[in-house]
Amino acid sequence: MAGIYIYSDKGPLAAELVGFAKTTGKAVNIVTFDQNSAASAAEYGADKVYLLAGDSLLVENNARAAAKFLMNEEAELFLVGSTPRGRDIAARIAGYLQCAMVSDVSSIVINDGQVSTERMIYGGAVIQSEMIDGMAVLTIPPGKFEAASGTAEIATVNINADSRVSLITTAPIVKKGVDISAADKIVCIGLGMEKKQDMQIAQDLAQVLGAEISCTRGIAEERQWLPQYIGISGETVKPSLYLSMGVSGQVQHVVGMREAQIIVGIDINDKAPIFDAADYGIVGDMFEIVPLLIQEIKNI
Amino acid sequence: MGKVIACYKWVPDEADIKINSDHTIDLSKAKWKISDYDKNAIEAAVQAAQVLEGKAVSLTFGGANAKSSLKDALSRGPDEACWINSDLASEADGFVTATVLAAAVRKMEDVSLVICAEGASDTYARQITPRLGAELDWPVITSVSNISINGNTIRAERQLDDCIQTVEAELPAVISVLPEVNDAPLPSLKAVIAASKKPVTELGDKDLGITDLTSKTRVQSQKAYVMIRKNIIFTEGDALDQVKELVGNLKKEGIL
Ligand SMILES: Cc1cc2nc3c(=O)[nH]c(=O)nc-3n(C[C@H](O)[C@H](O)[C@H](O)COP(=O)(O)OP(=O)(O)OC[C@H]3O[C@@H](n4cnc5c(N)ncnc54)[C@H](O)[C@@H]3O)c2cc1C
Repeated sequence: MAGIYIYSDKGPLAAELVGFAKTTGKAVNIVTFDQNSAASAAEYGADKVYLLAGDSLLVENNARAAAKFLMNEEAELFLVGSTPRGRDIAARIAGYLQCAMVSDVSSIVINDGQVSTERMIYGGAVIQSEMIDGMAVLTIPPGKFEAASGTAEIATVNINADSRVSLITTAPIVKKGVDISAADKIVCIGLGMEKKQDMQIAQDLAQVLGAEISCTRGIAEERQWLPQYIGISGETVKPSLYLSMGVSGQVQHVVGMREAQIIVGIDINDKAPIFDAADYGIVGDMFEIVPLLIQEIKNI
Repeated sequence: MGKVIACYKWVPDEADIKINSDHTIDLSKAKWKISDYDKNAIEAAVQAAQVLEGKAVSLTFGGANAKSSLKDALSRGPDEACWINSDLASEADGFVTATVLAAAVRKMEDVSLVICAEGASDTYARQITPRLGAELDWPVITSVSNISINGNTIRAERQLDDCIQTVEAELPAVISVLPEVNDAPLPSLKAVIAASKKPVTELGDKDLGITDLTSKTRVQSQKAYVMIRKNIIFTEGDALDQVKELVGNLKKEGIL
């Protein structure tokens, strides 16, 4: 059946995509690959939920069969939640269908069968708008649309999953601490902080401010001091206060925090781009500035 | 003993983008570079080629100015470079790029492994690895943070948002590596000198025998994101005075 098809490995995100798809007046179908996801998806307000039942433990292994299914159904648009698995299966399906794909779109307008999208390029410095005729695959990050709800029937379609990549083990990542995407104040550390024990000054500042601690990509991914980081490939945050120390402020980081109410940067380099992104800044050594700042805030 | 291909993109440095008064962008002053994370893909390919006792080949699809990238790429360790020189590259979408790269890989013969980075620093669309895998209909492994190769089997750790998966596939395969997979060292002077002697294959898109290379998406506009901030920066004077100024301002803002 023609219409919009939706997939996300994160249920709530699938419900948000249904919320958008319903505004187009087209038939809205969710694609799932396992029984549990299908049962949850049946409450997200779609017209129909498809369970493409293969036998692979890796979602991405269903790409080839899902592409064939979407082609047979004459899908007009395939919306996929932008997560690592979602981006992978979406692009593989676009590859098998040899169709258009736009990644991580921030806006979608559908008009007379044409799809117009906006997305960020150059790390977030530039917004690009694109136009597509015909079938398109779009990936969409969370938080863009209101989730829908309502019951749908489930139709099971048997498929053959690709078995060439096999899963050997899975180790869950246990994210300790709070979810920074909801934090009201954030103290952010960057690679300018060289020793893990120095994080104490950031912790002390966070404590007097009632803030959460976050970081740039290198601190989380290379040094693995903290679980979550801010930026184009990490989290997007909107705190009332974002205060950084030892963060140069490259666009790929700034894009994740530039909607904060107030941005403060502390950096030793007066040319650091963080100062272009900041409301207030101090050019100085964080090990001198931050202890003074903690004291001044305590004095209030 | 097949080849290991490292794909990379030659991109303008996003830090050099100038914004015109109408918010359009000016790239004419930008320096160009090998997309940051592609350096890790090149290093991963060099390491994998050693294990497989094959050749590492760098592959780029770029316009005339990508010629400058070849020596830079080769100085990072590959044995050979391949450049698909085409004006189509500047406006290529994921479909066109994956189609061209797949055709180049097919033409090279005896390829065991293709390694890309997770995304390019200009578009960061993160499509090419899965699309290229689909074009070739090879197994695909994305988000790889660790690789081991044993005989004809690749075992990889995938760093996802909620778990780390260990997966396995038989070669040939297409994978994308995260920048954390290795440290891509700066090339030594010796490596830079050696790079000029390494073989380069240059092909046009016409040499690849592809009939349809029309992008499926049409770019309508590119506008700079304009940041409007107060930019009150304390640069001079006593650190305590600066801190007092900052605290005073944050109080006024209602933050403290
Ligand atoms: C495709 C792509 C995606 C990316 N995604 C992200 C992302 O999502 N998030 C992200 O954060 N990055 C991302 N990056 C990386 C990004 O480009 C920057 O490299 C990174 O943000 C820099 O991190 P940093 O500011 O911690 O370190 P650096 O750039 O090394 O800056 C360190 C700063 O500390 C300052 N400093 C040093 N010592 C002191 C001191 N004693 N006191 C005060 N200041 C000091 C220095 O002056 C410098 O400005 C991405 C890059 C690419 C190519």
